Amino acid sequence: MERKNHTRKLTAILAAALVIATLVLATGCTKSDASARGGKTLYLYNWTYYTPESVIEKFEKEFGVKVVLDYFASNEDMFAKLKAGGSGYDIVFPSQDYTSIMINQKMVHEIDHAKIPNLRYINPMILEKATYDPQMRWSVPYSSGATGIAVNKTKVSSYARDWSIFADTRLKGRMSMLDDMREVMGDALAHLGYSVNSTDPAELAAAQKLINEQWKPNLVKFDAEGFAKSFSTGEFWVVHGYAEAVFEELDESRWGEVDFFLPPEGGPMYLDSMVIPTGAKNVELAHEFINFIHRPEIYAEFLDRFHYPATVHTEAGALMTVQPFYRGEDMAAYELKYDVGEDLDKYNEIWQTIRYVN
Amino acid sequence: MNTHHLQERRGRRLGITYSAPMGLWLTVFFLVPLGIIILYSFLKKGLYGGVEWEFTLSAYQQMFNPNFMRVLFRTLWVATLATCFTILLALPCGYAMARSRNQVLWLALVIVPFWTNSLIRIYAWIAILSSEGFVNEALKAIGLISESLPLIYNQGAVITVLIYMYIPFAILPLFTTIDKFDFQLLEAARDLGATKAESIVKVLLPNIRSGIITALIFTFIPIFGAYTVPLLVGGKDSYLIGNIIVDQVTKTRNWPLASAFSLVLTVLSTIGVIWMMTSNASEKARQKSVVQVADTNGGLS
Repeated sequence: MERKNHTRKLTAILAAALVIATLVLATGCTKSDASARGGKTLYLYNWTYYTPESVIEKFEKEFGVKVVLDYFASNEDMFAKLKAGGSGYDIVFPSQDYTSIMINQKMVHEIDHAKIPNLRYINPMILEKATYDPQMRWSVPYSSGATGIAVNKTKVSSYARDWSIFADTRLKGRMSMLDDMREVMGDALAHLGYSVNSTDPAELAAAQKLINEQWKPNLVKFDAEGFAKSFSTGEFWVVHGYAEAVFEELDESRWGEVDFFLPPEGGPMYLDSMVIPTGAKNVELAHEFINFIHRPEIYAEFLDRFHYPATVHTEAGALMTVQPFYRGEDMAAYELKYDVGEDLDKYNEIWQTIRYVN
Repeated sequence: MNTHHLQERRGRRLGITYSAPMGLWLTVFFLVPLGIIILYSFLKKGLYGGVEWEFTLSAYQQMFNPNFMRVLFRTLWVATLATCFTILLALPCGYAMARSRNQVLWLALVIVPFWTNSLIRIYAWIAILSSEGFVNEALKAIGLISESLPLIYNQGAVITVLIYMYIPFAILPLFTTIDKFDFQLLEAARDLGATKAESIVKVLLPNIRSGIITALIFTFIPIFGAYTVPLLVGGKDSYLIGNIIVDQVTKTRNWPLASAFSLVLTVLSTIGVIWMMTSNASEKARQKSVVQVADTNGGLS
């Protein structure tokens, strides 16, 4: 008994010593690593896989710093974390509605234009749409795009290249739209010639009627998770969604089978921006990073990686080495989705009749 | 006598020490979150998510909306059907396993699927049920059908996959109770003139009642709150309460309503569990008294 206790104690002490030794070694390593690079670390809070690793590495090398990335999957998650006191981030990448909310709530640092000469490359067309911050006082555009429609040309030969494709009864049971209230409602509003940010009850009711009576009967489901997989297997022939999500599931040899287009009536678009939260510790370095991202050759590298059109940048498009999935000009009629504040409840009520009732 | 007392007192003191970690665990990870949910359900929703510290019954008023009620009844319907099928399938499985010589093998086979992430298993079902999937292609190959059957993106698919996901939780408790059952009782019943069916309904099932109840609880409660399965293999008719709760938190920024729905789920499940447990207890008490009456009768005659 006595012996047994003794050995057990010894094992415990050894184990504890081992843990402590590992911790000391680990912290020692990171410390020396960081100091070798000038001791500075830039903390980014970004959408998952939204900045290519090659770009991050180039920045680290050139400026002798370390970049730490933390990811979020939705604006709501990001906002809740920042509100709950999550600090220490130097740059955050919110979409337009949350960028405006964060500006209104004084959660972001003012941008020093003198430190970001590359702001001259930002497309004035995008800034015109960003009515909450057209002078880039608080935010710098990162990337912009819109959801569109992908059609499997091997299954469907004749179809309307606009939102009315979802009213095509011949394609019943082979189409899906995103499980996303503002996107689907925005598409219907745009198709009817209204603003995607409408809060007018009559316009919203018309959109509701269009979706429930014309579109929904032909859809298999509202799907934001598996639609790209189902499109790639041939289960769905027409899907509404993000181009990169659709093409990522397909082998490049099959890209020719797909017609991806943005309906010409317009629809909702997004604009993700870079903001420096008020609690940031490396404001200088954050400015350097924003400037670095908008270097034409670096920005082109980012666009190439995701086949995005150069909607935000005036120069990088010419430097791209791959064909983007759609053209920036296609977004001419597209509107930014704004935060509709209290009127969100009107949307919620309509969405319930679309989503909860079969 | 004295030492006995002392030991008992010491035992009691140690009892507190032993149960402390469990108590702490329950407090931190169950009672506190539950308290937060109850509290939030009575607060005003914040415009950008979260809550404002103002008492209101608004979340509960919002619940009495025909759309929500429809989802609630749909969820009850799907959960009840899925649970019934699960138990009906798990009973013969548990029975066969208990009577088998290769118990360890069967147990391993029931448990092995858990080693794979549940999302991957759901995606596998999409490949099995889709219109160009395994089942449809197989049926076409043997000439039973020429057009694909709509096996996926409907309530039927949701129920099928839910049964698959939760059947191990029903098989395991049923197996353990059936394993303890004295099978000679079945032979005795047959000797006394019961048919095969009668011996199972009147002798086996009452004796494994506690296992059936555990299986019911273990399957119905998680199915009632399920959200990934209806999201991935469901269609337009498969929106369940679990989906409402997730959407209220992540999309419509209505945390109080999400809390109110979670509370309804918790209360309904708790009522169910208590009801089943008390009915089990009273059943046991009844059985005991019957046995006692039989004993005394025997003694008298």
